[in-house]
Amino acid sequence: MKNKLFEKYFVFSPYFWLVLFFFIPLAIIFKISISVSEWGMPPYQDIFLFDNGFKINTTLENYVYIFSDYYYIGSFVNSLILALISTFFCLLIGFPLSFYIATSNIRLRNILLVLVVIPFWSSFLLRVYAWKIILQNNGILNVILLNLGITSEPLQLLYNQYAVIMGIVYTYLPLMILPLYGYLNKFDLNLIEASKDLGLNRTKTFFKVILPLSVPGIVAGSLLVFIPVVGEFIIPEMLGGSDRLYYGKILWEEFFVNRNWPGASALAFSGIIILVLPIVIFQILYSRWSQKNEI
Amino acid sequence: MDNNFLVIENISKSFGDNKVLENINLNISKSEFFGLLGSSGSGKTTLLRILGGFENPDTGRVILDGTDITNLEPFERPLNYMFQSYALFPHLNVFNNLAFGIKENFTKKEIEINVRNIAELLSIEHLLNRRIKQLSGGEQQRVALGRCLIKKPKLLLLDEPLAALDKKLRSKTQLELTTLQKKLKITFVFVTHDQEEAMSLSDRMAIMKNGLILECSSPEEIYENPKSLYTANFIGIANIIEIYKKGENFYSDDLGINFKLNKELKNKKTNILLRPEKIKIQSINNLKTSSFNSFSGEILEKSYLGSFTRYEIKIKNMIISVLDQNFNSNSNYNFPKGEKVICSWESESIKVLED
Repeated sequence: MKNKLFEKYFVFSPYFWLVLFFFIPLAIIFKISISVSEWGMPPYQDIFLFDNGFKINTTLENYVYIFSDYYYIGSFVNSLILALISTFFCLLIGFPLSFYIATSNIRLRNILLVLVVIPFWSSFLLRVYAWKIILQNNGILNVILLNLGITSEPLQLLYNQYAVIMGIVYTYLPLMILPLYGYLNKFDLNLIEASKDLGLNRTKTFFKVILPLSVPGIVAGSLLVFIPVVGEFIIPEMLGGSDRLYYGKILWEEFFVNRNWPGASALAFSGIIILVLPIVIFQILYSRWSQKNEI
Repeated sequence: MDNNFLVIENISKSFGDNKVLENINLNISKSEFFGLLGSSGSGKTTLLRILGGFENPDTGRVILDGTDITNLEPFERPLNYMFQSYALFPHLNVFNNLAFGIKENFTKKEIEINVRNIAELLSIEHLLNRRIKQLSGGEQQRVALGRCLIKKPKLLLLDEPLAALDKKLRSKTQLELTTLQKKLKITFVFVTHDQEEAMSLSDRMAIMKNGLILECSSPEEIYENPKSLYTANFIGIANIIEIYKKGENFYSDDLGINFKLNKELKNKKTNILLRPEKIKIQSINNLKTSSFNSFSGEILEKSYLGSFTRYEIKIKNMIISVLDQNFNSNSNYNFPKGEKVICSWESESIKVLED
């Protein structure tokens, strides 16, 4: 009996984790987002007041505030676009790479996998900072371009949205490659040969056999890149300029610079709902589809 | 008959330092059921994959129906390849697996008709809406076969077509496969490591070893008149006896008896093959021992196999296998263990192994 109870708790431990570190913080953020803002510490009023009898002190003002100002919605849209583009490039680079790794011989495969994982061994901040050094006006890349005579004056490579996309693709690529590799590794290469044997050339084989059978890996890798990129703060902060504002940065500023905790909370909570709800629906539909197709 | 339908000319192939095929030459006729038999590492699968276009030979040519296909991609070759693992597409149902190779060139209606026809031919009409995972091994084999045959190939290559089936299903499928091949008159080339499978399916077969073709002939010819020691041992049960010239006749030290051969030998010393069913076994009381082509020995082991009894008979330094057909239902006909018997054979049954 005791053992069973232990097993039960053991099995449900991921859910305890989820409740403790996701749902409870989310509830706190929601609570703050419907509080009335105030100049003080903490910078919002309690939602339950007991001075003159019991009173619930909530407001939707914060939501009205962020949804009526395009500054906030725009930054979220910018982040969504950034995440889409970055995911697309990660997939574009990651898919052939994963496929190559999965189909190469075991020795080369292990070396390549280690190479994919090696960046994780150094600090994320340092790696992004290294790009700053490479891309700056008197950085390595500009020096090479100048010396080769390709350009006559240093190019402004840093502090724009392209530097941000590059930084994100660079940082998140392993998160795309590893789950993709996991699926492609199980891929029966005879299927490709069978497809060719039945008269389909390389392109058609890719679209009719390889791609449909890689869907689970593509979905897993894409979600792993897309979701965190939407909230990404550090890379746009370090490599980005003022040409585009992103959600993560606005959130930071609203919390720590403007000290508008209720507004920032409303922004964070809306972001999570807007992002997570479609993904949950997608996951439900997708799992039904993949069950039906037995992939 | 056109025996140049498929011509394999001087094909060699190495993987690194490993020579897998060395100067393979084969001519295969139209509508022939041709077997490539060899143990693993003999190069048989590599040769089949070269025919399919999945490997490029280092030297040589492959000519199919007058066209050089050596440098064609697999999707450009008018042939199909049935994989040992079947390689059916798990994301498609049986219908779409069958239709996979004809979707491009046919209308929806034509595809439907073609799939129905092929499904009917292979009796898998009831499976068309099934997923691949829902099929048994035998059903998967039929779908794999149908997926190739629907393309009406000039040549069908089969890699161990029956290896994944259980024993009972295998013999049934063997028969179906030969019937189907004779009916469709498509040239089949298949690879197997199973000598029984090769014998029962092939019109002709090639024995491969270490990247070479040792012999190529009909199963009967290869069984009865093998040229090499390897083939003799590989196909069926073989008694191999070393003999040398002694006066007019030949003598075996191991058996301590004389052999009379009908033909002259090139070498002084040679191996001869005596198949176990060619040896007649008699009670010692009935006969006098002749000095040629017979010996007396003691029964060491005996296994009753129903239609045959297999004896292991010890004579001097050697153990000879004998298969004795059980003509009589009288169990006394069988010789008990330890009994002294006389074995004899016709001179024609002795086959000289030249290599």
